[in-house]
Amino acid sequence: MVRREDCGSPEHQAHRRLFLQGSMAAGVASVASFNGLFSIPTLAQETKKRGKKCILLWLCGAPSQFETWDPKPGTITGGPFGSIATSLPGIRISSLMPRCATIMDKLGVIRSMSTEPSEHFQGIDVLTRGEAPRPPFTRPILGSVVAERLGQLDSPVPQFVLLDPCPEGNEFKSFKAGNWAGWLGAEYGPVRSGGEYAIADILRPESIDGLDHEDREALRSFLSRKYQNDQRSQAAAGYNAAFDRVRGLMSCAPLFDLETLPVADRDRYGPGAFAQHALQARHLIENGSTFVMVANGMPWDNHVFQHEMHQMLVPELDNVLFQLVMDLEQRGMLEDTLVIAMGEFGRTPWLNEARGRDHYSKAWSMAMAGGGIRGGVVVGKTDPMGFEVTENAIDNRRLFATIFTALGIDAKEQYDLPDLPTFHRVEGNVQPIDELLIG
Amino acid sequence: MKNRDCLVLALCKSLALGPVRLLPVRLLTVRWLTVCLLLVVDFGQGCLDAQEAVNSASIVSGITAQIDQRIALGYSKASIVPAENCTDEQFIRRLYLDIAGRIPTLGERESFLLDHSGSKRLEWIDRLLASEDYVENFVDTFDALLMGRATRGKIGERKSHWRPYLEDVFRSNRPWDQVAREILLARPQSPEQSGAVWFLYERNDNAQAIAEAVAPAFFGIRIDCAQCHDHMIATEIHQEHYWGLVAFFNRSKNTKTSTGPRLSESAIGGFSDFANIYGSSYPNLLTFYESKTIDEPRPEKDAKQEDSEDLYVPAVDPADPRVPKFSRREKFVEEILNGHPRFAKAFVNRIWAMLMGRGIVHPYDQMDSVHPPSDAELLDGLAREFVDSGHNIRGLVRGILASRPYQLGSLRPEGAEDPSRFAWALERPLTAEQLGRSLQIALFQKADEDHACIGDLRDRMPEVLPETVVTDVGDALYLTNNPRVQQMILEASRQDALVGRLASREELRDAIDEMFLAILGRSAEESETQAVLDFVQPRLANRPVAERVSVWQSAVWAVLTSAEFRFNH
Repeated sequence: MVRREDCGSPEHQAHRRLFLQGSMAAGVASVASFNGLFSIPTLAQETKKRGKKCILLWLCGAPSQFETWDPKPGTITGGPFGSIATSLPGIRISSLMPRCATIMDKLGVIRSMSTEPSEHFQGIDVLTRGEAPRPPFTRPILGSVVAERLGQLDSPVPQFVLLDPCPEGNEFKSFKAGNWAGWLGAEYGPVRSGGEYAIADILRPESIDGLDHEDREALRSFLSRKYQNDQRSQAAAGYNAAFDRVRGLMSCAPLFDLETLPVADRDRYGPGAFAQHALQARHLIENGSTFVMVANGMPWDNHVFQHEMHQMLVPELDNVLFQLVMDLEQRGMLEDTLVIAMGEFGRTPWLNEARGRDHYSKAWSMAMAGGGIRGGVVVGKTDPMGFEVTENAIDNRRLFATIFTALGIDAKEQYDLPDLPTFHRVEGNVQPIDELLIG
Repeated sequence: MKNRDCLVLALCKSLALGPVRLLPVRLLTVRWLTVCLLLVVDFGQGCLDAQEAVNSASIVSGITAQIDQRIALGYSKASIVPAENCTDEQFIRRLYLDIAGRIPTLGERESFLLDHSGSKRLEWIDRLLASEDYVENFVDTFDALLMGRATRGKIGERKSHWRPYLEDVFRSNRPWDQVAREILLARPQSPEQSGAVWFLYERNDNAQAIAEAVAPAFFGIRIDCAQCHDHMIATEIHQEHYWGLVAFFNRSKNTKTSTGPRLSESAIGGFSDFANIYGSSYPNLLTFYESKTIDEPRPEKDAKQEDSEDLYVPAVDPADPRVPKFSRREKFVEEILNGHPRFAKAFVNRIWAMLMGRGIVHPYDQMDSVHPPSDAELLDGLAREFVDSGHNIRGLVRGILASRPYQLGSLRPEGAEDPSRFAWALERPLTAEQLGRSLQIALFQKADEDHACIGDLRDRMPEVLPETVVTDVGDALYLTNNPRVQQMILEASRQDALVGRLASREELRDAIDEMFLAILGRSAEESETQAVLDFVQPRLANRPVAERVSVWQSAVWAVLTSAEFRFNH
């Protein structure tokens, strides 16, 4: 059982869920007709949408822009690492990223991110949902929105997967315990996997035969849904939604078994959970997932020994992003698969007493590739020491408008949910960053 | 910043459990039998009787009266018609879960339903509040709330030091202010108080961990964010409050004595400056949120303080550590904790949250300017009553249980949207302990808190008082496929356990009804009976006798894992 923010309006969730179950017209009464429940074929009709997909490399804790996309070598803020030339004439990135330097023509980089929150929890909230919270309403996280818009709800393959080996991670841990899908409803929340690269309890216990196992679930579901409808219970709706996903997940157990992937691929991505999960993300996207978020606890929060830590973390990111983009391109998937690499903010230009860089949200960087994003574009500038954005400041809203537009999702659309104040996919009628978008 | 997480959630996973002691099942007395024969039992009527009893002025405490009045005022202000009162069936399940930490046994349920006393709800509230089940259940909850879940390695230590103390607190209904003093002063005056030191002791000389635990436990606020800067959202919580609270505990040190673990305290040291993110630095004065600053001579920077025996007095018990003449812990207890405006409110709000599904301030442990109470007057009034009652824990619990909003039905009325109006009984997931014990009761199994499945539940569902409820698909997978869950149901196939009894029934419909009564505390509706029949009938017909029990195992699984069992409603 995990926690989430309360949504003050249960009505719309029940409404939506009934609608999705195809039982809205019949309303509550429909559940009372039980005949044939055990042997019906799946009701879901093909709603196949040829859609885009997305992999979010979530660099939680917040990486330093100086040691990645916006190096300031030779200045007092620049740190000890140099910069290197890239495949993009005139553009240099940190010397810790030699591989990405060779594919800068495929990447879209924003060097002028400028956002409000400078605390992790709030930063994670804003940079994964696109907007600061407005209690009691909980805006769905990016992956939930993309899964709802572009995913196939009836697919057995989970549409939104969170790969994260680490239950810990300070504020990220609390955040993970929160409500991911928000007002879209629990069925759009992520399936979580990670750690030993497998989902626990995904196989049927040997002590029960297959048909009994299936039919007892049908019975459970009938009883449980009756309670949900009789009580108009939001909690039960979420509970039942979780059970609804069990069978589909069980059927795609092999997808989560990293051992089935070629050793050569695994070696190429490198050791460590982050790298292996990035590979697994590619595998899941290839096999029908719509959004995969790869996180790794909160390793980037380097308040202490920033340079030493980044010296380990950035080369790993460099390789993983490179491998992922190249793999997708080779498979002809890059065009339809958006890869995003970012954290919740950047790091201070100055060092603290522990030789760490602290939180800095005024001027930071992030990168994207594929899926409707134009490669070889670097958006925005910071001043020579990286204190301020000097050109084309981009906030969370414009970033999200760009991401949604790249994925073919209407960023200005209003959420059509009963009993909810007016919410838009992205608030404030902002424009996406045109130069980053492919026509 | 490298803040610690929500303390309660993050610290640990499992929790030590004391023995589950069930109330003796009261068999039907002659009186009840007679009543039973003479009267047609009408649950709806029973409910009215009980409500009348609750409303009768002679037994209504000030707390109940305030709640009923303020909440009703809230309904009329918001033009809400609240839910109907709950039925006796609903009431007894809810009450047992909240107070005894488990569903009632069939016998207990029946005794209550057949009890025709006009004030039976109040009587059963009192009966349960006097039970050992109440003690165990509240110890479970407060252990998790005050300490966080124990890692499996720590369960044993808590069992021998901390839990006996909490048990004594709830069994003897010690006033909450006294409990707080005992815990924070940590100088036990008697063997019963000995375990009070464990709150500080388990935090192992980590004064920041102590401060971050003290603030939510006794003041209902979280100060973790104020470690590196004034709280950016709840701006009234300052960095000086964080480091001030730390300073009250930073001279304390874990000490092992012949009478058990103790906390010694130094008379010197513990002076430092804290720096904010802008680089300014300030001395860590002895101060706290909404309170004062305690005077204490501060040595010059870098001046070396001399420790000497003159600065201490010997403890009353020579085995205990000596006591500094200027004791920061004592100052905290005497001058900050004592009469602090947040203290009673924080406790009232937490108990309210436990029983009502959410706090008057929600979340219950963030009672700051960002989270205003849904009814400030109610919170103030209850806190006043609580103080006037001598911080009487059981009295507060009783007062809430006897109130009208506690006894409402759980069906949200049309037009009522806002849960903070308490116009219907809010659904709450069972805690791991409640779920584990209830599973065992439903299966007619012996209470066994060491069952592997219960350990898993504690690991999987560490939450108590979750802000709201979502079910992880991992939980659904666990309940669906984990062999330990199957094993638990399998074990109930003995003749005298639920599955065994169902399998031996001649009449399928009777068996189905018994299954619903045992697990859900109500009879099966016709559509439900039919659904179960559709499942069991063909299977029973086609299988050899020896395998029939497996059919009932599956049916029992389906009811046990339905949402109705998972929630308190």
